[in-house]
Parts: sequence; C-alpha cells; structure tokens
Amino acid sequence: MNRALLPEMLHCTDMTVPEKQRARFKWQPEQQQQQPQDSFFGDLSGVFHLQQHQLQGFQGDLGEVVTRSVKPDPALMDNGWPDLVGFGPCGYGNNNGSGFDINYAISRTSSCPPAVAEAAVDAAVLANGREPVVSEKLSSGVGRESLKKRKIDKVQNNTKVVAEDDSRDKRIKGCGEEGESKFIEKNNNKSSTTSKNSNKENSAETSKDNSKVTEVQKPEYIHVRVRRGQATDSHSLAERVRREKISERMKYLQDLVPGCNKITGKAGMLDEIINYVQSLQRQVEFLSMKLAAVNPRLDFNIDNLFSKEAFPGCATNFPAIGMSSDMTNPAYLQFNPVQQQQRQQQQQPQQQLVTCCGLDMGINPPDMGLRRTISAPVSIPEMFIESSCFNQIQASSTWDADLQNLYNVAFDQGRSTSFPPQPFTGTIEASNLKMEM
Amino acid sequence: MTSVHPNSTTTTRFARRFLISLSRMRRPITLGPPSDEEVCRRTRRIKLAAYSSMARAVGSRRAWSRALLLKVRNRVRFQGILRNRFLASKKKRVIKRNKASGEMNKTDMLRKLVPGGETMDICGLLEETAHYMASLATQVKVMQSIVDQYSK
Repeated sequence: MNRALLPEMLHCTDMTVPEKQRARFKWQPEQQQQQPQDSFFGDLSGVFHLQQHQLQGFQGDLGEVVTRSVKPDPALMDNGWPDLVGFGPCGYGNNNGSGFDINYAISRTSSCPPAVAEAAVDAAVLANGREPVVSEKLSSGVGRESLKKRKIDKVQNNTKVVAEDDSRDKRIKGCGEEGESKFIEKNNNKSSTTSKNSNKENSAETSKDNSKVTEVQKPEYIHVRVRRGQATDSHSLAERVRREKISERMKYLQDLVPGCNKITGKAGMLDEIINYVQSLQRQVEFLSMKLAAVNPRLDFNIDNLFSKEAFPGCATNFPAIGMSSDMTNPAYLQFNPVQQQQRQQQQQPQQQLVTCCGLDMGINPPDMGLRRTISAPVSIPEMFIESSCFNQIQASSTWDADLQNLYNVAFDQGRSTSFPPQPFTGTIEASNLKMEM
Repeated sequence: MTSVHPNSTTTTRFARRFLISLSRMRRPITLGPPSDEEVCRRTRRIKLAAYSSMARAVGSRRAWSRALLLKVRNRVRFQGILRNRFLASKKKRVIKRNKASGEMNKTDMLRKLVPGGETMDICGLLEETAHYMASLATQVKVMQSIVDQYSK
C-alpha cells in the first residue's frame, strides 16, 4: 500500500473499517519491532464487517478494540498469533449504533510484541469519538482478555502494553476514529486528554483493568476461565463450557420440579423430570376427559361470553391503574364473584377484599374462597384467580360499570395488602399439584 | 435463563385461549349422558385443544411450541401427509445416533416427551423442558379450575 496515503486515510473518518485497518496495520511495522505484518493485512481486508462481532486475536500491532460488530475472517484465527493475547472486547452491552469504526484492542501475552495492548489502550483512548464506554465494558473487556482460552500472563501483558504505546499514539491521533473500546472510559477518566497517555500510565491503567476482572458478557464467543492445573486445549475447554451449561440448566430444572431439592446427580434429576412431565401430561389427559364428560350439560357459549367480556376488561384496566397485574387481577376478580353472590351490590368491598386476600395458599381447594375469613398470608394463589374468573360465568352484563368501581377500590385495597406473588408461585403449583395427584 | 414462572397474565392468556377453543367445540347433539365413544372423541379433541391453545399462547418463541403447532396443523389438515422433510431426516439421524448407544437412556425418554425434542442437543433440550414443564403446569391449573367451576 502506499505509505503516503496513510495519514490521509487515517484522518478520513469515512473510511471503511477494513481500509482503515489495513492502513493502520501497514503503518505499524514502521514503528515497532515486530515481524512483518504484510501477510496479515491481506487477511484483514474485508474481514471486518460492522454488523457482526467476534473476538479476535490479532498479531502485534493490532491494538484495536473490537466492538460488537466485527466479523472476523476465520482465517485470521489461525494466523500465527498464538502468542498474542487478545482482548477482543466485542459485544458489550451498549449498542454503538452502526457505522462507527471499530477499534480492536488486543493484547496478548508471551512473545507478543509488547505494544499491542498499549496500542489498544491508546487506540481506544484517542479514538473515543462518541460514546464513552461503560466502565463495566472496560473491566469486562479486561476480564475477557484474561478469560481468553489460553493461559494469560498478566504481567507480561502489561509490559507488552507499555512498549506499544508509543507506536499507537501517533497513529491514533491521526485516526480520529470513533468507536468504543474497553479502555476508553477508563483512560478518559484517568487522563484528561487522550494525548496525555504515557506508556506508564497506560500500563498502570491496564494493570488496574486487569485487576478488575468482572463478569464477562457473552457475545458469540464463550470465555472460560481456566483454573490452575486444568487442561487448556480447546476441546476440553469447550467440553467444560458445555458441561457447565448443562449443570446450570439442571439446577434450574431442580427449582421447577417440586420436591427435588434433595436429589443430586443428573440421573436422578432426569428421572424426576421425566416423571414430572409424564404426570403433567397424564393430568392434562385426565382433565380433558373430565371436561368431556362434564361439558355436555353446560353451554360453552357462556365461557365464550365470559372470556370475551372479562378478559378484555382486564386488559384495559390494568394499564390504567398501572399496578402489577398480579395485584389487580386477583383483586378485581375477587370482587366480582362476591358481588354476584350478594346480588350485585357493592357492599363493603374493603372487607371483602381483605377476606379474599386472606385466602389460604392453595391448600384449600379454590372454592369461592371469598366467603372465607382468614388471616392467612396474603399471596393470592393463581388457582384462586381462575376459580373466581370462571365463577363469573353467571355474570350479567352489568359487570362493566361495577367492575370499574370495584377495580378502583380493589386497587386501593390491593395496595395495602399486596404481596409479591412470585415467590409463592412455586409453592402454589406444588401444593396444587399435590392436591391433584 | 429467563424465568419461566407464569404470572397472572400468562395464566390469563392460557385460560382465555383454552376457553375460546373450548367454546368453538360443537355441542353434543344427544341429550343425556353421552356414550363412551362420544366421550372418548371429545376427550381427544379437548386434549388437542388444550395442547394447541397452550402452544399458541406461548407463541413461536419456543421450539416446543413450534413443534406442537406444526404437529397439530399437520394432523388437522393433512392427516400426517405433510411433513417437514428436513426435520424428519434430522430426526432420523439423531435417533440413529442415540440408538447406537444400545438402550433407551433417560435423555431419549425426555426427548420423546417434550415436543420437538428429538432434534435438540441436551442443552437446548433441558431448557425447552423447563419451559414446557412450566406451561404444562399452567395449563393444568387452568383446566382444573374450569373443571371445578363446572362441577359446582
């Protein structure tokens, strides 16, 4: 490439990423003591596409922070970069919007030319045109760096970062690129102007960044922290990741399936899960049989009517009130049956609501527990909601006006007696199932 | 993983869809106690309605709901003629792979239970199982309360 073009290219902000990178990369060898990068530049062309992101390790002078949307050339991965520490910060939470340039900040350990990380830092610092990176990005980016699938020597990394700083400075200043990088915010915090970055500063910051390793958000790459003594080849790492995913899902399932707290081990859990799913399916079949037997003597149109009236009513009311649907739904539903029981008069809704709310947690069958007077914990079981819903099958069309009034009252009452229903959901289901089983 | 615990709106959605589909079912012609086969037929139709309303309430977000909807659609319209060829071939491959292990292990059983589970890897299968379980539980609740309602 024409070296003379480089400064112009660097100043131009409209350049496409690949071109810029090409320019940048070509510039690098002048200032650094790395091996010739020409082969790499060829790979770079057309590699980076703004819309996708992936973590990359680059050789030597790359020092650019990868933002979310970079699509690497697969060939790049196999490039002779094994020693480089890749920062590859891609894909952190914030969306930069399209069209920004991507800086790749990559630093590697071991034999990597030291300037990489530094350069990355610098690039990030200077290139920070628009969007400051959230600090979590920084730390997470650093975290990502250390979480790379190879063992990473942080000390080495820092030293290497230092050396590259010089080379980065000039290039980055000329760059005028925008983009996010892990280091941007941190560096901005530390140094008021981008140009002030010194090698030492950057390395210090980098070391601080390194020490602030936090949770890594996952773009398409999965980062695994390798513990001491564990194998680090890609196969075992991938397997470990897979195993962790599976165990995480098993734990989640353990919470879902009732009564599985004491069971450890995948086999037992799988047995329980299979049993539970089978029992649920059998229940559906049994209940549908019951419905088939029961239905003939009742008119389904009522259900239709009910659902058309009640549920749209629910939907419109909820946003107005702005309360969680959990609260308002049961509240107002409880009122209606009560009202109908007492011939559609609105009597002492407050007391009734309290009564309703005081329902027992689903241990008792969902009869119209409205008549119950209780002081039990107030979480409103979902079963009750349904039963009260369906109770209104006999409702008349004068619901709606009453509904509005009740709803407002219920809202007030509900607020005072509100309890988070979520934690109870599990127990509700469990107890209900126990009832049914 | 996002929580699959059904809240009130989810339950309402399930209930509504199920009720609507129930109401669409034709009423029994004969008065008095229905015959056994009539009950059987209705049972099957109600069960189908339950599953399809459950899948529709969930939408196409989940693999199992998509598989369920596909199955229902195929059954209703083409009586099994129309099949997703790609899935069928993939299923065969997966089943062959599993069968190679010799006996029917638990994972295979789980695959059979969860709709659309034949072609998934274990990771996805577990996640779908969790969501499917939660939706089934919700559906059971809805149906139970309807039955209770009717039996009053």
